[in-house]
Amino acid sequence: MQLVRKAATVSRAKGLAAEIRWLLGVSLSAILLFPGNSAAEDGSQGAQIAATCASCHDPAGRGQAIPPIVGMDEQGIVKAMLAFRASESPSLVMHAVALSLTDGELAAMARYLTGKANAGWQP
Amino acid sequence: MTDWTRRQIGGLVGGALLGVAAPHIARGQGRPRVIVIGGGIGGATVARYLADLKSIDVTLVEPNSTHVTCFFSNLYLAGLRSLASLTFGLETLAERHGITIIRDSAVAIDPAGKGVELQGGPKLSYDRLVVAPGIAFKFGEIGGYDEAAAKIMPHAWIAGPQSELLRRQLKSMDDGGVFVIAAPPNPFRCPPAPYERASLVAYYFKQFKPKSKILILDAKDTFSGQELFQDAWSRHYPGMIEWLPSQFTGAIKAVDVAARSVVTEGETFRAAVANIIPAQKAGLIGEKAGLTDASGWCPVDPVTFESTLQPGIHVVGDSIIGGDMPKSAFSANSQAKACAFAVAASLTGSPHFPPHLFNSCYTFLAPDDAFTNALTFASEGGKIKTVKMFISKVGESAEARRRTAHHAVGWYSAFTADVFGGGS
Repeated sequence: MQLVRKAATVSRAKGLAAEIRWLLGVSLSAILLFPGNSAAEDGSQGAQIAATCASCHDPAGRGQAIPPIVGMDEQGIVKAMLAFRASESPSLVMHAVALSLTDGELAAMARYLTGKANAGWQP
Repeated sequence: MTDWTRRQIGGLVGGALLGVAAPHIARGQGRPRVIVIGGGIGGATVARYLADLKSIDVTLVEPNSTHVTCFFSNLYLAGLRSLASLTFGLETLAERHGITIIRDSAVAIDPAGKGVELQGGPKLSYDRLVVAPGIAFKFGEIGGYDEAAAKIMPHAWIAGPQSELLRRQLKSMDDGGVFVIAAPPNPFRCPPAPYERASLVAYYFKQFKPKSKILILDAKDTFSGQELFQDAWSRHYPGMIEWLPSQFTGAIKAVDVAARSVVTEGETFRAAVANIIPAQKAGLIGEKAGLTDASGWCPVDPVTFESTLQPGIHVVGDSIIGGDMPKSAFSANSQAKACAFAVAASLTGSPHFPPHLFNSCYTFLAPDDAFTNALTFASEGGKIKTVKMFISKVGESAEARRRTAHHAVGWYSAFTADVFGGGS
């Protein structure tokens, strides 16, 4: 009886994880397809949102306690933000930030950060 | 405003001399000009983000050459950080971000003529003005407590010499003494800070003066993060910290500087060291320029941070009525970015998007035990309203709290680099 219940729980958990992965995959592709200004323009929507990131993440990428975001690729940023949006753990701050951004804003921000890094970020 | 007029009349007498000594600095050709008054967290951030857009001339007016951060200054009081590690020069903003820094005090603002008068003489003209004067104290609300009294019973609520004075007093205090903290009424700069101060000074006492006690005489009946603090006090400093809400004492009425005592409605408390944190209001230039209302703070538009009382002048940081936003360095930095993009849009026609406003604070309960919160805000009906709020919980593991303390230190270095330029 005990074993059966455990097996059911495990299989439910597995199903849930697969579902989250699938949802993450779908939202990721949807967000990356968002139209918008792609260049690392100062003053663009992406720049205005990314300004928030710099309140905690060292633009020179030398952060130790708070991980650097310079050099992450666009997909990596969106993926991380979707995971933060889904859970309070591991960071309350990132959960709050991710929840406040729409998919379009998230895409613009990720695109800006990547473009800026490619252009050689000068803090 | 009144001061401006008085100065102009005075100028009729000394006008010729003033003309030579302080030539009117003309507006730059073509490029719009923004003056930022105040080189604290809000002012420095606005200046930096505007200058980085590279289409606006930015002048920052600040009398001090360095800024000492109030946040983390409780760690200094406990002997856990040097004051030098909390001190930032403004030179990087000039050298790497192209901001003109004028070391002077703004004494008057002329909103109609778009001019700022400086104590040192020159009159500056602007296309847009940003004022970030921080806080001033309502001396006089506690009988006997004024600027002179603060040299004996420090407030240490503007970091720098006041923090050094309080640290010296705590170091020379005999073991077994009572350290009294008078916590102010709302609203005030950094709501959890009086209680963080009690926690970190208790940490210091526990090591060096274990018979000493801390008494918090509060002007309020509840405080920010109360459950988290009281849990930490019983875990780390049992019997050392006593908190007396206003309803128990009838609130602080006066201080007796000579006797080193604090007088409440019902009782007089003798202090070995007294830290009196008075009620607060917007920095003085805000009041002089007609930016404050009856509350003593500056009302602003929640999207552009333009004053609702003086068009063309924006206000950010602790001096505003921030709706649900607490008066914190993080709030000031977040408001400053929203303000910078709004000012740029109004001057250059650059796009402006609805701002995202955030606050996040790290609060130390002990060197390896810190909690955090995270809040998001949105403009609603002309006010800033909280959208989401998350906060650490009582009962978290020691490891989680250690990690938060570690994050706090990393945040400090990134945040100050964001504000004062450069990258740590």
